[in-house]
Amino acid sequence: MSSLSMALRLTPYLARSNGSSFREAGLRDAGLPILAFGTVTALLLTVAGGSQVFWSWSDDIAGTYQALAVVAMVLLIIPLLTLGASAARLAARRRDDRLASLRLLGANSATVVWMTVIESTVLAAVGAVAGAGLYACVAPFLGLIQFRGQAIGSHAWLSVPSILGCVLAVCVLAAASAALGLRKVVVTPLGVRTRQTADGAHWVRGLIAAVVVVVGVVAMGMLSSFGAFIVIIAVMGGCFGLALLALNLMGPWILRLRASSQLKHAKRPEQLLAARTVLESPKESWRQVGGVAMTSFVGVFVGVGMAVADTMGTSGDAEATLLVRDINTGVMITLLGSFLMVACSAGVNQAAAVLDRASTLVALDRVGMPQKLMVAARVKAVMSPLFLVAGISAAAAAVLVLPLTGTVLLTQPVVFLTIGGVFAAGFLLVRLAVAAGTAQISQVLARPERYASMDS
Amino acid sequence: MNAILHAQQLTKHYPGSIALDHVDFTANAGQSIAIIGPSGSGKTTLLHCLAGILRPDAGAITLNTPSSPLRLDTLGDAALSRLRREEFGFVFQQGMLLPELTALENVALALMLNGTDRNTSETRAAEWLAALGLAGMEQRRLGELSGGQVQRVAIARAQVTGARVVFADEPTGALDSATSNEVLDVLLHSVAANGRTLLVVTHDPNVAARCERVVELRDGRIVADSGRSVAAPNLPAQAGESAPDTPAAPGTQAAANFKGAFNV
Repeated sequence: MSSLSMALRLTPYLARSNGSSFREAGLRDAGLPILAFGTVTALLLTVAGGSQVFWSWSDDIAGTYQALAVVAMVLLIIPLLTLGASAARLAARRRDDRLASLRLLGANSATVVWMTVIESTVLAAVGAVAGAGLYACVAPFLGLIQFRGQAIGSHAWLSVPSILGCVLAVCVLAAASAALGLRKVVVTPLGVRTRQTADGAHWVRGLIAAVVVVVGVVAMGMLSSFGAFIVIIAVMGGCFGLALLALNLMGPWILRLRASSQLKHAKRPEQLLAARTVLESPKESWRQVGGVAMTSFVGVFVGVGMAVADTMGTSGDAEATLLVRDINTGVMITLLGSFLMVACSAGVNQAAAVLDRASTLVALDRVGMPQKLMVAARVKAVMSPLFLVAGISAAAAAVLVLPLTGTVLLTQPVVFLTIGGVFAAGFLLVRLAVAAGTAQISQVLARPERYASMDS
Repeated sequence: MNAILHAQQLTKHYPGSIALDHVDFTANAGQSIAIIGPSGSGKTTLLHCLAGILRPDAGAITLNTPSSPLRLDTLGDAALSRLRREEFGFVFQQGMLLPELTALENVALALMLNGTDRNTSETRAAEWLAALGLAGMEQRRLGELSGGQVQRVAIARAQVTGARVVFADEPTGALDSATSNEVLDVLLHSVAANGRTLLVVTHDPNVAARCERVVELRDGRIVADSGRSVAAPNLPAQAGESAPDTPAAPGTQAAANFKGAFNV
């Protein structure tokens, strides 16, 4: 019997036999991945629905809006994929103990991989359908957003085939992430353990990123020599992509450097624990907060630029005034959307991390570690990289447009207040999501017998 | 011999069963006590009640501290948590240490939680690790240590704070017999050399045989208590007074025995 057919036979059987614990463990086994996939789908549909509006126009200025929408989608798709991957890893991790038991019973590695993929995909499908329902509830509110002087209304509604396509995409993402996620664990008959590969972030990443930036700068410098408009747009798009690539290469390395410094200077237990959490996997930390980096940069850069344009050159042109206002609206929505995805990702990751290490947390509680310290360490491990990433990106943008920054500060201080407000709201959102994730600690410690072997 | 921990008429119910049935128990300072019994006999529940992890449904638990006796069953959660941090040490079956921390940080963390500064904490932690045969392994993460070495780190963490009572729940349960003996040597000798009281829950008759006293539980009651008390070892400090926070006081017989046993 092939591995796939055995997996197809075993999966429903185990799902059925797991019925009582499925209900009992609820959140631990299936609820959290379903919630995560639901959030991913709802956000994906919202982003797709919002972007669709710009393709319903066909006048002269529609092309500008469409180009900007593509940029916004590129900015949002990375944190969205990150969130999707987090949800998929979470779904795969829930099955660790059962996978080991199956190996003990003689199932081979391929069967175990197939079972994980099948189970993750089923959870993703359930979550995605729920997410589509959530999108249906949110879409009317999305329609209230104004572009070109009027509410976008029913243009934000996606067609049924589009919705089904998004649901399918989430399922495929879940299946791929589950299969890739298993590469990080070894499932043997004696248990599941993480591979002892150091998840470092080498300085070579910084070097490669520097090379990528140089290539981008050179390409941008030669922009006028490319001639055709379409080529110029393509090169600009490519450079934008290169900037994102450089950022993703450098991000984990910068977080590792920062965490190493924090570890060196840590005086309190929560500082030590938070720094070690980041150092344990700088890439994981980056995946959680990296989405905010480019949006913070774009938020400040475009916000200031548009404010200057508004002041200097659009006073008599109604269409240009609308465009500037719409770009500002788009930037703020993208920034908030990005924070929302980071918040979801952080919440899901924290909840998963708490459940994964429940027995250790119970043991730490028993040796007298205060619960608020456990929470403080986890909050710091997320918020510290987030502040760093958003701060560096926003500061880099402000420095780049320094001459304009001063002008805007004097003439339109409300722009800075708006940008600051969006950042504050974003940080608050992430903080709340982390609080929701770490709330699992109270639940774990309230019922320690579930997580620690207690011989009564 | 002074009583350090005294339980009177301890009763604890779980839905549909009674885990402890009016248990009276006294642990003397400096004693090593094995609590044995079949699964479900109540031995871990007794350990958890005595350690302030579980609250009994009825009965009293008193810890004799240098200042005054302390009733554990009347303390709030925060006070119990602090008590476990400062007065007690724990060794669990799987070590239950933090995998992202180094061996040194895992031990030092116990002191940092009590407010000791990081430098002092790490210095004392390094002394303990060296005394338990882990010199040179301070910066290793737990994944780079063997099962026996991880348990030594746990033993160091349990005692670095100067805990006066060490609770061990199946400390050798996950180890092979040779490593199990080695870890047991480390545990028993380090606890004795520092004048601490050891309460160890075990299924293993070899572990029980090496403790000074064996208490057997069955169906929530103590059905046998060897009560055999050997002479207290030469303590570096009078048990029940100021608890030491270094591996052993140099120059004492206990320290000599201790170092002889662990300098591997």
